[in-house]
Amino acid sequence: MRFIVKVVYISLRHLINCRKSQRMSKNKKLIIQIFLAFILFGLSWILVNNLIINLIRTNIGFNFNWLIKPASFSLAEPPLPYSPSDSYAWALFMGWINSLKVIFSSLLLATFIGTLIGFLRVGKNSFFNIITAGYITFIRQTPLLIQLMCWYFVGFLSIKNNSFLNIRNIFNISNTGIEIFGLNLSSEFSALLFGLSIFSSAFIAEVIRGGIQSVPVGQWEAYRSLGISEKKGFVKIIFPQALPAFIPGLTSQYLNLAKNSTLAIAVGYSDIYAINDTIINQTGRAVECFIILLFSFLILNLLITKIMGIINKSIMRTRI
Amino acid sequence: MNHMNLMLIINLFNKIKNFLLSKHKKNVFNFIFTLILISLVLRFLYWIFFNLNWRVVTSNLNLYAFGSFPFDEQWRPTLWFLSLLSITFVTIYGPKWNWLRKNLLFGWIGTVPLGIYLLKGGFGLTPVMSRNWGGLTLTILLTSSSILFSLPIGIILALCRRSSLFLIRKFSSFYIDVMRSVPLIAVLFFGQLLIPLFLPFGVEIDRVWRSILAFTLFVSAYIAEDIRGGLQSIPKNQIEAANSLGLNNFQINFFILVPQSLRIALPALTNQLIGLFQNTSLMSILGLMELLGVSRSILANPEFIGQYIEVYIWLASVYWILCTIMAFVSKKLEHKMTTNKGY
Repeated sequence: MRFIVKVVYISLRHLINCRKSQRMSKNKKLIIQIFLAFILFGLSWILVNNLIINLIRTNIGFNFNWLIKPASFSLAEPPLPYSPSDSYAWALFMGWINSLKVIFSSLLLATFIGTLIGFLRVGKNSFFNIITAGYITFIRQTPLLIQLMCWYFVGFLSIKNNSFLNIRNIFNISNTGIEIFGLNLSSEFSALLFGLSIFSSAFIAEVIRGGIQSVPVGQWEAYRSLGISEKKGFVKIIFPQALPAFIPGLTSQYLNLAKNSTLAIAVGYSDIYAINDTIINQTGRAVECFIILLFSFLILNLLITKIMGIINKSIMRTRI
Repeated sequence: MNHMNLMLIINLFNKIKNFLLSKHKKNVFNFIFTLILISLVLRFLYWIFFNLNWRVVTSNLNLYAFGSFPFDEQWRPTLWFLSLLSITFVTIYGPKWNWLRKNLLFGWIGTVPLGIYLLKGGFGLTPVMSRNWGGLTLTILLTSSSILFSLPIGIILALCRRSSLFLIRKFSSFYIDVMRSVPLIAVLFFGQLLIPLFLPFGVEIDRVWRSILAFTLFVSAYIAEDIRGGLQSIPKNQIEAANSLGLNNFQINFFILVPQSLRIALPALTNQLIGLFQNTSLMSILGLMELLGVSRSILANPEFIGQYIEVYIWLASVYWILCTIMAFVSKKLEHKMTTNKGY
């Protein structure tokens, strides 16, 4: 008993220890860690035990056999052939592809708009400076969910007549979505696309601004004193130096965008979260669906960070 | 003669061209753009104020502020709002008395229990069920209590991530990384559907508390990362100086490192607070009656069906104003802290 009290006392004292302590011996460290592992294990054991009891009590159980059963719900816009008699796993895969579709398209659009706004924000034109500053603050200070609902309910669903804008049947905006060159985007997808990209573009613009401002003032003065024109100097001298500073900020913004894409459920777009939600409502398998959701997001995050890592490497290679 | 005329015209044309493309060009373009912008904004404002039917907002103001809180008890949330406003005001513009500044932190911490007591009732007040909480009251309650709980957890996680003990370091970084890679709505969903499964039979947590717990779990990971950034930017010789003064680890962490890192991380923490305030709107998807949830139920009312534009403009402006106030307060605080840095 005295031993346990002593270990608790020591571990509490050294629990928060931010530097390599010379005073703590290796044995003490080992004992504290074993003790902590014991506590963690006990805590998780209690929780898992509760979970098992509750699952048995509610007659749900825990298995993944249901994945091969027919899903028996239909999807509004499956990216690949899908029918309600297909399995739950296939439906989840459809949701994953839908998520990927909306994430990558809005990522490209957000980068485009954000870069444009970021450049205008640091430019010399005071008019554009004020406009872009207003845009950034307004977009950042309103919740994404409200923006998405605004795009969907006000932007698309409230178009009364069949077509809002029609340019020779090539570009057509109506309450069923957008049609460009025969490519039909549903209103849910387009609302999500615009909402996500406009929201992220404000954050990306700030990243771009920070990156450009991180280039030392001497560089601007140097190219001006060499007689290089403003345009050429910006493209050839400032921008390449600012590029490496963009990458970490852009990566975190892209990850945020991927996470924010789960708000698709608010506009009725069937992404991975919405399909998981439907399955939970149908089968009641919340634990399994949550695990699937976790893993699908880990994979998505890994994908984005890997791609950004490759881009970062290529930038660093061209720089030297 | 003809030739002269042509020369004149060419000259004039050149002059106009020079004028437009010289340094005046920018001014002219700016002037035209400003005029266009002002006319657009005026037209938009005219449309907002005269063409839209604002009855959907004006007749539901009570619902937006307090949800379905009983009418006779609505002085309680109002009192709470007033106390929050007054403490904000005192923080920014209040006198520089030493005892006041020392106790302001406790005042801020005390607003949350006060709010919960006022909303929940008991001990002399009529109890009000949490399903009657709603509107702006619920939004602010969710925000303030989540940030209050997640700040200490975030600080401890950040310190643990730099610990010399392998297990603590790995565990806290695992927790932070997992929480940061999961979307918020999944965590909130976990809070609403899975937390009851992890509790022993018979124990139940209220829906509002479950969502506060989920928000706390989520935000503390982000706060930990912000504070870690602050901790990393503190020079090493501070620790050495503290060691040479004979302070122990606890004193070094909580009297030297954490206060400084909090000051450095203040802008990032404000961003977290604003983000959290905006993200409470996600609870409307999971069925709480906060600002957006109230609006959704109002829009489902046949009397106001289809009036999306008014409701969303109103909501966006409410969120915008409150977020701007928070950003303003944090800027003032930052200013205060940097001016105090001298001594």
